[in-house]
Amino acid sequence: MQAAVLRGTQDGYDLVIKQSASLDQVMVDLKTLLENLKADAQAPTEQVSLDVLTEDRILTADEKHRIEQLVGQYPRFKIHKITANVMTIADALQLKERENVHLLSKVIRNGQDVHMQGDVLFLGTIHEGGKLCTTGNIFSMGNVTGILQAGYPDDESKLVMGNLQTAQQVRIAEQFDIVEQGELTASQQTVAYVNDLHVLSYGNLDQLKKINPKLYNQIGGI
Amino acid sequence: MGKAIVITSGKGGVGKTTTSANIGTALALMGKRVCLMDLDIGLRNLDVVLGLDNRIIYDIVDVATGRAKLPQALVKDKRFDDKLYLLPAAQNTDKTALKPEQVKAIVDELKPEYDYVLIDCPAGIEQGFMNAVAGADAAIVVTTPEISAVRDADRVVGLLEQHPLVEAPRLLINRIRRNMMQDGTMMDIDEITHHLGIELLGIIFDDDAVITTSNQGEPIVMDTDNPASQGYRNVARRLEGETVPLMKLEDQEDPGFWHRVSNWFHRG
Repeated sequence: MQAAVLRGTQDGYDLVIKQSASLDQVMVDLKTLLENLKADAQAPTEQVSLDVLTEDRILTADEKHRIEQLVGQYPRFKIHKITANVMTIADALQLKERENVHLLSKVIRNGQDVHMQGDVLFLGTIHEGGKLCTTGNIFSMGNVTGILQAGYPDDESKLVMGNLQTAQQVRIAEQFDIVEQGELTASQQTVAYVNDLHVLSYGNLDQLKKINPKLYNQIGGI
Repeated sequence: MGKAIVITSGKGGVGKTTTSANIGTALALMGKRVCLMDLDIGLRNLDVVLGLDNRIIYDIVDVATGRAKLPQALVKDKRFDDKLYLLPAAQNTDKTALKPEQVKAIVDELKPEYDYVLIDCPAGIEQGFMNAVAGADAAIVVTTPEISAVRDADRVVGLLEQHPLVEAPRLLINRIRRNMMQDGTMMDIDEITHHLGIELLGIIFDDDAVITTSNQGEPIVMDTDNPASQGYRNVARRLEGETVPLMKLEDQEDPGFWHRVSNWFHRG
């Protein structure tokens, strides 16, 4: 059985690297395969982009480099991406961390910065000078007199919801608003978002579908 | 084995040193053996407030660096018959002259000898603060009913929560002006306590006599009738585990009929 197989798909070509074969074997077979293709006069002349699939094997950076180098010797081919069916536990944990809604119930005091990954359901208190910062959305049910930052560092599609009247600042990605007295009402339904003009603005929960249809679909709105 | 309590605030000028001197004196008056440690190196005041400034021979830096033994550096307050001692700060150097481990070693050496070791923390949250907190078992966070002091107290409570001591920090609200608090122009006691979310240890009313007595090198607690003195005495009793109700804001004496009439004429 060949350790490196070329497979045509609707979108182009996949180069499948069998997980059962050793990498040295793969290199030998891949070289043979590429040599054969080079010799094949009927093959199309334009450059072919390959998606390398490594099945249930994760290649190290060094191994990837070896494959890239070999393919690089044949100008007709170039590697588009290298993907595997599996991921490392560290990556999986990070993904889980990023995709989950995290419950946070603590007092964030003056001078304390709390950094989170993913969406945060905040039930605690933020004092003046305290900051809650996350890569995802913030759903706040707590008492906020400090700073809330969603979509850190640069995701403007994220939202901050909850009573923001007493907050010092609301930040989403790089946009921020200094909450002036009287700017907001004491409503748990406030939604802060970044509009099409890249300006942070406020809306109400019932406008969520219009503000951010993606999130609305995700949470199962009809 | 005694207990080491650090008296801190973050902000300067809220009355840490006055509080240290008065709580220490109040505990000594209750018959406890107390050692006051001044960690405000370079800007020492505790000795002045206690009227012991001319008795200093060695200081805490001398002890830490081995130039003097601990008992040599301790200054005895003769008014309290072997109950109150002061370990003075150095005046000719700065906060970086000490390391947290050195302070902890000194506190640990003092604890078996005394019922209370009160550590007067310098303002700020830098090296001096770290030094002061290093050896402590408990903390008293002093604030005044001003937004700036409360913010700084919040910061300090946050820092203390990150590096927890044996006991949770307790709050002391200093310099309360009864009239301002009564008419709502000053932050409320409940508001401050609720905001900071730590147990209230005591409240101290603002009183001119605190300044005059401190200038004379005699802590206000010595004057039994003074309201500020009562506040400090109550704090000392609470530290000892007694249940003492908070002093009332309203118990200011009724100005009286004639006083009110004369006020009425003075208006405008």
